[in-house]
Amino acid sequence: MKDQLTELAKRAEADYCEIRVEDSRQTSIAFQGKDLENVQESHMFGGNVRACVNGCWGFVTFNDLNTLESRVQEAVRNARAAAAANAEKTVLAPVEPVEDVVRLDVKSDPREVSLEDKLSLFGGYNERMLGHDGVTSTNLRYFDTFTHLHFANSEGTWLDREALDMGMGGSAVARNNGTTARGSASEGGRADFEAFRGLEKRFDEAAEAAVDAAKSEVVEGGTYTVICDPHLAGVFVHEAFGHLSEGDNVAEDPRMQEVLRLGRRFGENYLNIWDTGLDNGLRGYLPYDDEGVPTQKTWLIREGELVGRLHSRETAGRMKEKPTGNARAINYRFPPIPRMRNTCIGNGPHGGFEDLIKDVKLGIYAINSSGGQTNGELFTFTAGQAFMIRDGKLAERVRDVTLSGNVFDTLRNITGIAGDFHVQDGAGGCGKGGQMPLPVSHGSPHIRIKDVVIGGR
Amino acid sequence: MKESTNKVAEDAKPGDFTGKLATLADAFEMYQAEGRSLNVGFENDRLNEIRQGQSSGVSIRAVKDGKIGFSYSSKPDELDYVAQAAIRMAPYGKAYDYQFAGEARSSHTRPFDPACGDLNPDQLVAICNRIKDTVKAIDSEALVDCSVGGGIGSARIVTSNGQDCREEQSNFSFFVSLRLAEEGNFVQNYRFGSANEIIPQETILAEAKATAEEFQIARKRAEISKGKYTVLVAPSALSDLLMPIMVSVNGNAIEKKTSRFVDALGEKLFDERLTLTDDPFHKDGVGGGLYDGEGVPTQKRAIIDKGTVSGFVHTLSTANRCGQEPTGNAQRGVSSLPSPGMHNLVMDAGSDNLADLMTKADGGIYLRSLLGSFTSNFLAGQVSGNISLGFLVKDGQLVGRVKNCALNVNSFDLLKSNILGISKEREWMGGRYLPWLLVEGVQISAR
Repeated sequence: MKDQLTELAKRAEADYCEIRVEDSRQTSIAFQGKDLENVQESHMFGGNVRACVNGCWGFVTFNDLNTLESRVQEAVRNARAAAAANAEKTVLAPVEPVEDVVRLDVKSDPREVSLEDKLSLFGGYNERMLGHDGVTSTNLRYFDTFTHLHFANSEGTWLDREALDMGMGGSAVARNNGTTARGSASEGGRADFEAFRGLEKRFDEAAEAAVDAAKSEVVEGGTYTVICDPHLAGVFVHEAFGHLSEGDNVAEDPRMQEVLRLGRRFGENYLNIWDTGLDNGLRGYLPYDDEGVPTQKTWLIREGELVGRLHSRETAGRMKEKPTGNARAINYRFPPIPRMRNTCIGNGPHGGFEDLIKDVKLGIYAINSSGGQTNGELFTFTAGQAFMIRDGKLAERVRDVTLSGNVFDTLRNITGIAGDFHVQDGAGGCGKGGQMPLPVSHGSPHIRIKDVVIGGR
Repeated sequence: MKESTNKVAEDAKPGDFTGKLATLADAFEMYQAEGRSLNVGFENDRLNEIRQGQSSGVSIRAVKDGKIGFSYSSKPDELDYVAQAAIRMAPYGKAYDYQFAGEARSSHTRPFDPACGDLNPDQLVAICNRIKDTVKAIDSEALVDCSVGGGIGSARIVTSNGQDCREEQSNFSFFVSLRLAEEGNFVQNYRFGSANEIIPQETILAEAKATAEEFQIARKRAEISKGKYTVLVAPSALSDLLMPIMVSVNGNAIEKKTSRFVDALGEKLFDERLTLTDDPFHKDGVGGGLYDGEGVPTQKRAIIDKGTVSGFVHTLSTANRCGQEPTGNAQRGVSSLPSPGMHNLVMDAGSDNLADLMTKADGGIYLRSLLGSFTSNFLAGQVSGNISLGFLVKDGQLVGRVKNCALNVNSFDLLKSNILGISKEREWMGGRYLPWLLVEGVQISAR
């Protein structure tokens, strides 16, 4: 494989050429209500060729390795056709070629756990949620995916890399007087199946949250001070700032480069944000990105100032900055683009949750998340659970709490960051450019934000 | 242009294999799909990529001792692996308490344009260049992203109950986006279109022009405060407001009794003017097909008929468990199990001219798109999201973009009591053909 891929990549008549071959096997389990809806073993095999000529790309996917040579020719032909219409200089930030073999290094391997054991474990969680009075249905999904990747490029990089990804997400649905509400729990990671055991309490809490939420009122819309728990704050930093930091937003947009100039102040001195591929065990762990670039911890905001962004080799080259190992593709059917890995807000100086809440006269405590979206400047995400804060104390539960805002205003409006940093992986992923779900992680301590727009009645 | 095939597969390469499969499993369903595509993409005003895709796969559902196992491979020659894995999974699987599709032929036809499989990169690059020129002539400062492309594919379903159907599909699509990042005001406007045949260049350029003209208005700001507003909902945003209904008629939600429509068949829950139909045969709808993902012939059916809940959408399994007839609504990719879903959602046109609705929306908001509304509690009817593109309306005209505000409605209530008008005009948004809707009393939160 090594000789074939390396030789073809080097021989390609292009400024740059890379070949990726991917072989993955997945086990997945899904419960819906009391039913085991699906147990599945799947095999995905395929690859792609990406060639660059005069700044233009040709990208070709395939399922049959026997056709590889002609696929390389097609990719080069497409790149040349594009370049003929719009020739520029190919600008890829230089990196040292790497040759490496990365074998799986895990604490406990799900492939050594029997299917019966997995069904018993996850079925148990599902039954536990169903056992709560008021829960009308449940949904629980688990997957583990083992992937063997081969990557070669025309500059001499060769990678033979194994990777594992696991995720589980469960939710309970409760109904009360025509109102439906949901509570959820999740786990994920790349290195330890045993982390999926012993989570009964988490699923009990999810079921109880659904039942309580179905009895609660819809929040009254308005502008509130909001305290986000570490999970929701992690979603916030991913949606609200992480995407904005991706180099393809900036590299060819002079106005955006002005808005996002390095050194610009985005928040208070206690605001620190980074993205890293180095946290082994988390779903955002990535020793090499999908251009074969070693990953790193990339600071985005230090002491409130913008200091970095997330690059592919092309966006780094165009901005004359260093590549950061953020070029990622969800699988061989897509080209790598700048994406996040594990994006975090660092601990702040404001103690714990009790210290953040004590001065809030009227606000909302938003916990967990059922997802979010950004368009670069604006964002929306929905809290998994929420409580009103009245006179510095937690008060009644409210439901259907959607937080909306402007990224720039909201980062400036962070008025408190606690010191209780936490990362909670799940089964979901990030979506961008039609590529979803990409395994990512996010973490944060509790944070307090003023003037957040909450959609409500 | 010709019509999609509707026949027993003649090139049944795996014919021998289904015979073998019949000896291994008590019952089976085999789904095979393949496709190829070509797309040209411009980013930041320049041609960035020509992408050529090839995909294939096979999946099998095998029944052994009354239970179903499922497996998939992207390698078309791995039939043995897939069959053995499906049989290995069966003892753990769901009960086979229904029947895989039996032999049945659709009596309908759908368009198939083989030219979508013979696209030429130069031809697509030329269209993208015309899009860019059209947009830049209206707003030279905007950065333009666009893409044009298409492809063809086919899917074949064979079951042990005698069904063997193969259907070809063709598609062509375009996307055009303008964006401008100014301090304190990022503006973006985009449109897309898709069809079963090659879309004429004139149509694409007209859409590009309309996108650019609307973009120019979006560069102006208009302020609003928190309150209840009359809102003219464009088809692009109406999709979001209809999601609670789509989720509630879904067979999964009916089976699990999480839908509030469980016992509502025949009940009038919405405005008399609201009629929603699932039409898999509409010639312009890209979501259609002659057969669903389980090989069941599809049907054109009303879901909401003059405000009354009139139908659910089912797979074979959900129909069986709900004690209802199958509806031919199994949606799937080759790597996934079937689940209930609409083909083409068509909403009946109203009796109002769009221009009149715009006049009636005076002082209100023209809603083009919401951000993050998919995170809403649809089962409860709730739709919430940041207004990513909305305009203040004055004297029948869009006067500027409203920003930093969020919409929150309960669609079940809104579509029952708050409809002021429905346009005669309609627009395709992917697999949805929707009019403009004027509603009152919409809660907007703003800073």
